Amino acid sequence: MNVLILGGSGFLGAAVAQACERAGADVRVLSRSGRAPAGEGLRGDVRMPRLGLSAADAARVRQETTHVVLCFGSVSWTSGPGEVLETHSSGMRSALAFLRELPALRQAVHVSSLLALGRAEGRVTNRELYTGQRFRNWYEYGKYCAERLARDADDLPVGIVRFGPVLGPDPRGGRPDTRHGLPVAFPHLLAGYPVHLARRGDFPCWVTDVSSAAEIVLKALGTPIGRATWSWFDPALPTLADVFTEVCRPWGVVPKIVEAGPLGRFTRLLGERLGTPRELVDYTEPWFDLDVDVLKEIPEPWPVPDPDYLAATGRALRDGTRRRALA
Amino acid sequence: MTRPDQPRPTAPAPFVPVQPTASQHPPAPPAAPDPRPPSVDTDPHPYFRVYSAGNFGEVAPQRLSPMSWSLVGDPMERGTRALARRLWGRPAWAEGGHYVFVGYFGCRPYHNLAAYCHLSASIPGLSPSDVTDAYFEGIDSPEEVTALRSGRARQWAGSAKLLGELRDVGPRLRSLEERVAELEWGLQAATTTDSPIALAGVLRDALPVLEDAWAAHILTTSGLVPVRALQRRVYGRLLRHGEEIAHWLTRPRELVWDRLHTAAATLDPYGPGDFLASSFYEVADGQAPWQDYAVRHKQVASGSGEAGMAAVDPAEALAGMVSPWRSRTVRALATAVGEMMAGREHSKSLAMRTLHVYRRLLPALATSLGGDADLWPYLTIREFTDLATRPGLVERARPRVEACRAALATPMPEHLDLSGDDGVIRPWLSRTPQGQRGVAPGIGVGTVMTPESEPPDEPVIIICSSADADIAPLLPFAEGVLSERGSDLSHIAILSREYGIPCVVGYPGAASLPAGTTVSINGSTGEVTILDAP
Repeated sequence: MNVLILGGSGFLGAAVAQACERAGADVRVLSRSGRAPAGEGLRGDVRMPRLGLSAADAARVRQETTHVVLCFGSVSWTSGPGEVLETHSSGMRSALAFLRELPALRQAVHVSSLLALGRAEGRVTNRELYTGQRFRNWYEYGKYCAERLARDADDLPVGIVRFGPVLGPDPRGGRPDTRHGLPVAFPHLLAGYPVHLARRGDFPCWVTDVSSAAEIVLKALGTPIGRATWSWFDPALPTLADVFTEVCRPWGVVPKIVEAGPLGRFTRLLGERLGTPRELVDYTEPWFDLDVDVLKEIPEPWPVPDPDYLAATGRALRDGTRRRALA
Repeated sequence: MTRPDQPRPTAPAPFVPVQPTASQHPPAPPAAPDPRPPSVDTDPHPYFRVYSAGNFGEVAPQRLSPMSWSLVGDPMERGTRALARRLWGRPAWAEGGHYVFVGYFGCRPYHNLAAYCHLSASIPGLSPSDVTDAYFEGIDSPEEVTALRSGRARQWAGSAKLLGELRDVGPRLRSLEERVAELEWGLQAATTTDSPIALAGVLRDALPVLEDAWAAHILTTSGLVPVRALQRRVYGRLLRHGEEIAHWLTRPRELVWDRLHTAAATLDPYGPGDFLASSFYEVADGQAPWQDYAVRHKQVASGSGEAGMAAVDPAEALAGMVSPWRSRTVRALATAVGEMMAGREHSKSLAMRTLHVYRRLLPALATSLGGDADLWPYLTIREFTDLATRPGLVERARPRVEACRAALATPMPEHLDLSGDDGVIRPWLSRTPQGQRGVAPGIGVGTVMTPESEPPDEPVIIICSSADADIAPLLPFAEGVLSERGSDLSHIAILSREYGIPCVVGYPGAASLPAGTTVSINGSTGEVTILDAP
């Protein structure tokens, strides 16, 4: 298996690259920085034709690549439409065009997000993508656009794997990035500030750990997934409150989760004024109703998430801070 | 006290006659011969003396015949003056026997950049850079003559009136289109019956239609700038990434060009789309030397270009991200700006259709001039209309032939600075360099293709020095447009927005990129990357 990972220098991409390498695959990682957590690093840009590779590199990659993982793109929940659509829409088009030039391509996997479902109405499964839902932010819309493009490319063996927020210690080492997505709330909570959550956060947030997510991608490449869609999340279904509590536990902090019932919206607005992370404001109510049976569409055996990955995230935050302080 | 809607006591000179003729002033005593060489130039404005071909140059021919100028510049001037009068009373600087908003120097049409920038100062919240960015390729604006600035109350009153005018632009354009269609039918009837009287009737009826079409074009063109500025400001207040979102959301729903190109495919010589096969602006495009300057337009049958199922567009996606009233406000503004863009294109098409009527009409009527039939491009439309009663007017054309020949041999700069007052034409130099700019968002990658070549099967980026509605039929097949000329609100930017493809303007040498080159353009940032050169 010769795997090309587009966007392989990111949080999940790095884990996928390491998982593929562990499985004995030849790994190439394409990123704008050219850095590779595993395998051979290639400097490129998915928005460019030929992925921005030199002619020689492109020819080599074309010739040898049999499997591709598409896990590039902005992960910020607060990006504007320009940045998001550049990577998730234009980048996806360009990447799919490149896939069409691969003579030996057997399977490609697009890493999508459950958040592409936005505020979906009713129970949703792997089949649905757009159900008339409203998007909370441009990130969700960008993931929707990317998945839509992958679904429309019916001439390519592109399968889709959807994840919710992916947590756990950073496979690249160091302190986990808390600038984007759900982790933005962690420093806020650890500093002792309250957040407002409907039902005190007692609703699933579809998180999973990074190692099991990488294993699922590897399984999708190897099984192979074909043109199907899989959704993966921690089968233990931790609630948002569980996530916050577990991440804060190594710090000896109990997160202040408040709920003000009918004044919920007002409290949220007030909370935002008082410093609640903007990223979290849109996710303080149950996200969507995902049919948990979608997991059964993934062939068993399923990977087992690290039982302590939430606390490990908190520890990585703490230890990363210590390392920085010592440096 | 005079009311704004009263007729002006002084109209702009429709044209500067080069030599008074006997028929013009029969009883006058013999005057001393004018030592100046014959010229077709218009008089510059006494205060606003910086001109730019930026907007005209977007697609208009480099040089226009005097006849075409009288059908383009003169009605534009009248339309703009009338608008300024309705909005701000009678500003002294917009009065007089000289042209205020346009100019014709060395047979090249210009807009008065300084006057348009001054107009922007009459609208609260608008700056001259809004005007130059929108239509003049982002060049620096001239110094403002602050003494001529209107008062605050008048500015606000004018803005309210402008909004009122813009509100009525849709019905106005529809009624105007009916009149243009009647003209086309009249021309068909007159040509088919070969009746000079009927042709003269069409000539008589065409001028008010043309003036109304240009007036509507001026209104939509001028109104688009403050409305867009308002949109940006409101978005900045209501949304994060307001500027970006404005870029993505503002799309005209449906432009008139598709309909016209479909009509052109019927090859009806009197149909509404027939003008698309001709040069825009130049009515004497079949006659030397003007045919050398005519910008030919390509006709390509429209393809379906349909995707399977329409994806959710950014405007719909935004609905869930903000509160309902914000969403309504944002979408209403985006729709308003999109509709005004469509109105701008509609009014332009009506002006071009009326010019096309003249293109067919004038040569047919000029045959009555006998041996002087070739002189009609050197007359103005009013002189031509008066020929029936004052045949001596044709003499005015003779010295203009030589004047035009000399003018055409003189290179004319893109931007003129006539402030020296010594009769020397100097180029107006922008202090800040003009860079390439993205005017329709998105990223497009493909092999370059000129509008004249046949569309290949692979993804293409259309390259051109300037473009207009002529490339509309190509856009469904294109991944983007890269142009040497253009501005934020130029026609090519509006068309690209309609088709949802990126467009970058102001890229020097775009049209001369060798065939086979692969480029990537970013319509949000203006970035252009040459990927593969053959």
